[in-house]
Parts: sequence; C-alpha cells; structure tokens
Amino acid sequence: MTPATNAARDEAARALGAIVGGQSIDWEHVLHRRSFLELDALARAEALVDDGTIRVLSGPFERLESPWLQPQDITPQSDDGVVIARGTIGGTAVVIASIEQEFQGGGIGEVSGAKITQALRLAAASSRQGIPVPAVLLLETGGVRLQEANLGLNAVAEICSALLELRALAPVIGVVAGSVGSFGGVSIATGLCTHVIITPEGRIGLNGAVIEQEAGAEEFDSSDRSLIWAVVGGEQRRLTGLADTLVVDDAAELRDAVREAVAAGPASPGSHRSERLDVLDARLATLDPANPPEPRQLREMWGDTYGTPPAKPAAPPASSGAEPRPGVVHSRSSMQPSGRGRTWITALASGTTPRPVTGSVLRADTDGTTYLAVVPDPHNPFYRARQGQVGLTECAALARQFREIAVDDAHRAERRAIVAVVDLPSQAYGRIEEMAGLHQAIAAAVDATEAARIAGHPIVALVVGQALSGGFLAHGLQASQILALDDPGVVIHAMHRQAAAHITLRTVAQLDELGKTIPPLSYDVRVWATLGFCDSLLNVGSAESPTHDDVQTVAQAISGAVARARSGPADLSNRLESADARKNRKASRAVRDTLSRQWNEHSGQ
Amino acid sequence: MRTLHYQFPASRNPARRAHVGVVGSGDLEVLVEPGTTDGCGGAAAHAQVRVRTSVEGFDEVWQATLERFFARTPVLGNWELNDAGATPALVTLRMEQAAEATGSGDTPDSEEAS
Repeated sequence: MTPATNAARDEAARALGAIVGGQSIDWEHVLHRRSFLELDALARAEALVDDGTIRVLSGPFERLESPWLQPQDITPQSDDGVVIARGTIGGTAVVIASIEQEFQGGGIGEVSGAKITQALRLAAASSRQGIPVPAVLLLETGGVRLQEANLGLNAVAEICSALLELRALAPVIGVVAGSVGSFGGVSIATGLCTHVIITPEGRIGLNGAVIEQEAGAEEFDSSDRSLIWAVVGGEQRRLTGLADTLVVDDAAELRDAVREAVAAGPASPGSHRSERLDVLDARLATLDPANPPEPRQLREMWGDTYGTPPAKPAAPPASSGAEPRPGVVHSRSSMQPSGRGRTWITALASGTTPRPVTGSVLRADTDGTTYLAVVPDPHNPFYRARQGQVGLTECAALARQFREIAVDDAHRAERRAIVAVVDLPSQAYGRIEEMAGLHQAIAAAVDATEAARIAGHPIVALVVGQALSGGFLAHGLQASQILALDDPGVVIHAMHRQAAAHITLRTVAQLDELGKTIPPLSYDVRVWATLGFCDSLLNVGSAESPTHDDVQTVAQAISGAVARARSGPADLSNRLESADARKNRKASRAVRDTLSRQWNEHSGQ
Repeated sequence: MRTLHYQFPASRNPARRAHVGVVGSGDLEVLVEPGTTDGCGGAAAHAQVRVRTSVEGFDEVWQATLERFFARTPVLGNWELNDAGATPALVTLRMEQAAEATGSGDTPDSEEAS
C-alpha cells in the first residue's frame, strides 16, 4: 500500500478503537470494546467508578420527580432523569452526576438541575473541609427542558455557579460521550469544566437544530449530519482545543481518561479555558465573519490546545455590512432591534455618556456603580448578532469588563456595584458562532461575573426588555439580585414563544394557556416574578421612554438591591430562601435537603 | 397522560425493592417496593399497581397485560409503572426484570423483606 492509503487505513482503524503501532494494528482491542454509549445513566456512572463503590443519592425511591410534567400530560421519571452517585475513582472519593438522555432528551428541569447543583455544592463543602471531592458530570442533554422553561434556565445558572465554586477546590470533569451531546445552557457548564472528555460521537454546541429555525437552512442545515459533526463534533472540538481528551466509545477507555483527570487534581487559577480571555480575544481576531473558514481550516488556525492561536489576526473587514450568505440576516419580529437597553443605560448613568466598549457593548461609570449593556449594532461584523443578541465578541467584551473591574477594585475598601442592563433578544444563532464555540465565550462571561460576585461586587441585573435563553445566562442570571420592570414588553424565558411551541409540539395559544397554570412556562413577567429569584418588580410609567420619575424609581430600587447584595450571601443560595421560592421551588428545596441528608450516610462502609 | 390503578392476586413477597428501565420513548420504568399488609393489618393477598402512561385509550390492553403477568409472576408489593408508550411485550419484559431484581425468586412467601 502507498503511504497515503496506509495513513487512511490507520486512521480508520483508530476510529474503531484499534491500537495502531508502526505496521501492526491490534484489532483484538476493537473486539473487546464495551460500548459506553449504549449504557443508561446509572450504568455509565457505574462504569466509571471503582468496582463496588457506587452509592446512589436521591435515587428513584426518594421520588423526587418533577412537579411540572404531570399537569402537562407528560409521564415523569422517578429520579427526574439525573443519577447522583458517590463512589471512588482510583481510590479518590468523587461525586458523579449522570444525565439520562432517554428521558426528555436529557433536558434540565427544576429537579434534575437542583440535583446537579446540590451535588456540586456538597462536594465543594467537603473539599473546603479538607477532603477534596472531584465531580464527574456526564452531560447528555439538549439543554433547558422547555416544559419547565424558566425554572430550567435558572437551574442552569445555579449549576454554573456551583461548578465554579467546586472547580477552585477539586477538578470538575465533563464527559460528553454522546449520543445526544451537550447543548443549550449545559454546554456553557461544559465550557467551565476543568477537563472535558469527548468521543467522536459526542458534540458540544450552544445551539442545535434551532439555528435552522432561527436563521434558515442556508445558515445551518439541521439534517446535514456531516456538517453538524464537522462543526460541533467531538473530534473537531478536541482538535480546536475546546475539549481535552478524545477517546473512542469504550467504557474502559473512558474510565481510564476520567481516572487520569481525577488524579491530575484541580487546575491552577487563571488557567481554565473560561478564564483565558487573552486566548478568546486572539482566536476571535483570526475570524473574518464575511469570509469564515471551513471547520477543518480552524484546526490549523487555532491549534489543538487552548493557547495563543498559530493564525494571524484577520484583516479588518472591508465593509462591515458583509455577510457570506445573502438573506441570512432576516429575522423574526422578536429580534427587531430594541432601543431599551441603550435608553436605560443612558438614563441611569446621568451626568455621563455611556461609552462603547465595542459597537454592541456599552459601559457607563458613575460614582460607585458601573453599568453594562449589550445593544443592537447594525454594523456588527458578526451578522447574527446585529439585533442585540449576545454573540462571541459581546461575551468577550463583557467578560473583560467584569475582570477589569474586579482588578481595579481589588484594594478598595468597598467594591463598586455592577449593574447588568438587560434587553437581549437571545444569544446569537449562527454557524460561525457554533464553530468558534459560543458556549465557550458565554462560559467566559459567566465565569467573570461569578468571580466578581464572589470577590464582593454587588451585581444587579435590571431587565428592561427581553431576557431570553443563553443571552440572559451570559448577562444577568449570575447576578446577586434580579430586578425587572413590570411591563408587557419585558419577557423573560428560555426560548421565545414560536420556537418553544414548535419544539414542544404545541400551538402558541396552547403554550399561553398552560402558562396560566404552570408558572415556569409563563411569558408574563408577573408570573416569572413568583418563581423565587425576582428581587423586585418595578412599576414605571414607560419602559420604552422613561420619565424622570421612572428613572428615579429604578435608581432607588438599584440602590436597595446593592445594599441587600452587600449584606447577603456571595453565592446564589438566596434564590431558594425567598418566600416565593418556598412556594414555587418546593421541589428544589426537597432535593437540597435530601441530598444533604444522604451525602455522608454509610460513608464508613 | 393517564393514571390507572389495578390490583391482582399475588403470593410471593419481594425480598427488596427494585427499579428498572427509563421513561424514554417506547420504554418505561418499573418500581417495586415490598408492601406486606393489606392495609387492615392482615397479610397482603394482592399486588397494588399504579400505571402512569403518556398514551391514552389502552386501558384494556394494560388490564390484559398485567393480568397475564401476575398470573405467571405473582409478586406482591406496590408496583409503579411510568410509561412512555412501551409495547405490551416490553412492559412484560421490564416487569420480569423488576420481579427478578426484587429477589422474590421461586420461593413463595419469602419472609426476607419483613
């Protein structure tokens, strides 16, 4: 055979899991593979821990099922589709959270989300007491479970926060074996992990098929499997440095890879992907959105480690209005550019003019407070983020602001407040965004916000318009306090009406009807405000064109929120303590209490 | 979604509780827990079954499937079936797996559970 066919043969053999050395291929190895992909959530967890050490917490007989599915005529599962287990890996005590992809596509609801969050928090508490407990997260999910919309979205924010709390003390290992992959909000959590292990069948991406729905098949054809894997598949993610270890679908190989990552311990502060803003900026600078690279070219441009990319920065686009595929900027009504973000940041920063950090991110500094807003920018070279969506460069800019503020105030007696002015139609839905790893960029924004909050900055989110999905996860949902205007134009949700109706096989009318009796589904901000994480709903005369009195009302509410944040916990634990949470998040509280009780049971055995 | 309740004559005590399956499309999960009395302090003579199913209009199929199962495998206890459209054959298979996992085995009236 020619060297070329040899190479092709070797590559094919490796893809099947054979050990290729010189001229020989050890096919025996292939015959003895045990598929990990075919295992259910519990069996996957069992396959990773040392034999006989598994202990399931909050298992099926605790009946911590979702309270929201049965009223929607959906059969619940007794453990809500997440297995939490303790055990040892290579002798080290660990906790595993394994998502069952067969139940509701692995979608994160109130209970399944609370289980992951509480497992991470308990591991962090043990670690602080001197017994580091690494976490292994088996992430197979489409993201937020749309049947529990707003509670799922908040659950993802809480998972991210708890993950970051633990990550400083013990490694958090993300495993994306497939076949669902890690999508939606959970992809952001994946981007926060210490170490990511993936198979060629696995995928990591913020937006899945929904891109086609939002932007048309010419932007991203959701039936084109080779395109999808080329952009978000395991091999591509590994070879562009967005995952750390690529293994074939074999339980023994996954077990070895996880064992190695556990033994490596926590990564040093500043070295996590989501902290490397230098790399994020340098990588984004190599992209020309008007002339994007093919996915395969990205491997050479960026390299397979998350460091300074080999490629040079792209020349500034000749015309900022360029887009590669005509027609891709068409957008639905809810993505018409809104002026509310700019209006409110300008009004609140009285006496100063907000300055553009980038064309789409505004910053205003007043005495003791910094305001940040993402606003529409018709000339944004990333054309899928022109109507105020949170895209790659918006995340990079936001993350850098939060980091810089935290550094600036490091030695001040009182750290300044940071106000996220929120009017976001969503995250950016686009092919370039997925290829470049929008999940990783959002992870950088989430990480920076959490770090500022933990450092002692009161962070207040003020929702003045739309706060949808990944946009809100990136900018707002990590705040210590969340305020929203009581206005029909204020919409907080996991997905806009039309798309949510489409995906849950309902009509918009049915969805609105369900929202009347199932609070997390509602698009009404007054109902959202009862879920337990709204700190105040503010009455204004006009959300669109605020009067002087309106601005005064909101400014006073912000001062109050800042004061509460200064005296409250630095983490997000107060979201379970409000009077509303005691009513509408009973299930989350039950999860917290059950897991706490079972965490150390039988630990002597 | 539909919730159905049944009881069937049974005689074998499960030694332990058991859980099998997932509520995935075309599949179901089965939970069995020992329940040793009839609610009046006497020894139970019936298995209690609750079915929650996403598919409506199959009450008689459930009745027939469960009746046949308990005629062959009369395992006592509280049975919960959370169903996402499994075929009768798969229902029977999962229930057999669950019965086996309870350790009720072939020994009638095992007292291990009490």
